Amino acid sequence: MKKHWWKALGVVIVLYSFFMGLLTPLKTGILEANPASVRTGQEVMLEVKGYNSFYTQAQNELRAWLKMDSERALAARRVEVVDDRLVKLTFDIPAFLPVDKKVQDFTLILDSPADGASVLPSGVFVTQDSINAALGETAWPNADIANLHEKAAITFPFRNILGETIRNTYYHVPLWFAMFILFISAVVYSVKHLRNFDQRYDEQAAALTSVGILYGILGLVTGAIWAKHTWGAYWSFDVKQNMTAVGLLIYGAYFVLRASFEDPEKKARISAVYNIFAFATLIPLLYVIPKLTDSLHPGAGGNIAFGSQDLDNTMRMVFYPAIIGWTLMGVWMAQLIFRMNRLKHRLLEE
Amino acid sequence: MLKAVRKAFTTLSLFLFPFTFLMAQEDADFMRSMGKMYVVVAVIAAIFIGLVIFLVYLDRKLTRLENQIIHHE
Repeated sequence: MKKHWWKALGVVIVLYSFFMGLLTPLKTGILEANPASVRTGQEVMLEVKGYNSFYTQAQNELRAWLKMDSERALAARRVEVVDDRLVKLTFDIPAFLPVDKKVQDFTLILDSPADGASVLPSGVFVTQDSINAALGETAWPNADIANLHEKAAITFPFRNILGETIRNTYYHVPLWFAMFILFISAVVYSVKHLRNFDQRYDEQAAALTSVGILYGILGLVTGAIWAKHTWGAYWSFDVKQNMTAVGLLIYGAYFVLRASFEDPEKKARISAVYNIFAFATLIPLLYVIPKLTDSLHPGAGGNIAFGSQDLDNTMRMVFYPAIIGWTLMGVWMAQLIFRMNRLKHRLLEE
Repeated sequence: MLKAVRKAFTTLSLFLFPFTFLMAQEDADFMRSMGKMYVVVAVIAAIFIGLVIFLVYLDRKLTRLENQIIHHE
C-alpha cells in the first residue's frame, strides 16, 4: 500500500471534485426580465424571473435598479413579490435617455437580504423616439446602489448563458490541464531517451502520450457537449476547436509512426524526436493561434479566461484539486500501459 | 476472451444508440431544464464512457499478451 498511496489520492481527489462540484448550489440569479425592451416616458412593469431565489423571504426589503453606468441608475418605484421565483418591478422611465443613441441597454440589479445581490447584464433595452441627451442628463437620477447584501453560503457564481453548466469547469477543463501535464512528462521522457537510448524511457513517453490523447479526445467530446448548449452547436468550427483537433491529429500520428517501424531502437529514437516536435506544435496550436483571432472559447482572442468572471475562490477550491486528481489518475493509467508493454518486451526477448 | 469483449462492445453501442437518438429529439427542452443541469450529467457520462473505453483497450491488449504467453509455453 505504501507504494500506491498516490493512486488512492487521485481517486479521492476526483471523487471530491465530483461531490463538491455537483452538490454546491449556484448563487441566486436572474433568468430574464419581461418585457426585455421598453420605451421612454412610460411606467413599465417588468416581470423578473429568478433562479435559486427566495423572494418571499425578503418581502419588503427587496430593492431593484436599472443601471446604465457608474453615474446613472434608476431605482424601482414599486417591488411586488409574486412568489419565490417571480417578482414584478415598476419603473418610471423618464422621457429622454442621457445618451445620443436611440437604444440603450441597462443592467438589472436586484438586491435581497435573503439571497444577496443578483445581476442581469443588458437585461433591459430602453428605446427613445427623439434624442435629447441634455434633457436626459437632468431626468436620469443617480440612485444610490449601496449596502448590497451578500449571501453567507458556499455557492458557485450564476452566469446567464451557463446556468448549472458552470460546473463543467471541473470536468472539462481539468482534462486539458492533466493532458498537458502528461504530455510534458512524456516529452521529458523522450529527451531522457535521446540522452542515453534507454528503451524504457521511450515506452514511458508512449504510455503517457496515449493517456494524454485519451484525455484530449474526452476534452473535445465534453467541450462539444458543453458547446451545444451554450454556443448552439457541437462543432462551430471555432479556431480553438479546430486547432485542438489538428493538435490531437498530430499526436495521433505519433502512434502511426510507432507502428511503422520494425527495428525497436530506430522506432524509439525517431518517435522520441517526433514526440518533441508534436509537443512544440501543440503549444502554438492551443495557446497562441486562438489568442490571435476571435474565438467563442474563454482564454482566446478578446475573451479572457481565469479572471474573476470565470473562476471565483469557491470554484478554485474544486477546480485546482480536480487537475491534480485527474493527473494522478492519468499517471496511474499510463503506468498500467507501461507495465504491460514491459511484460510484452520481456516475453519477446526470452 | 476477445470475443467476449467484442460482444460487450456491440451490446454497449446497441444500448447507447437509442439513447443518443432519444436525446437528440428531446434535446432542447430536456437538456435546458433545471438550469441546463443535464449538460453536466452528459459531460460526466462522456468521461465515464471514456474511462470504459480505456478499460476495454487495456483488456484487449492484455488478452493478446496472455495468448502470446500461452503460445510461448
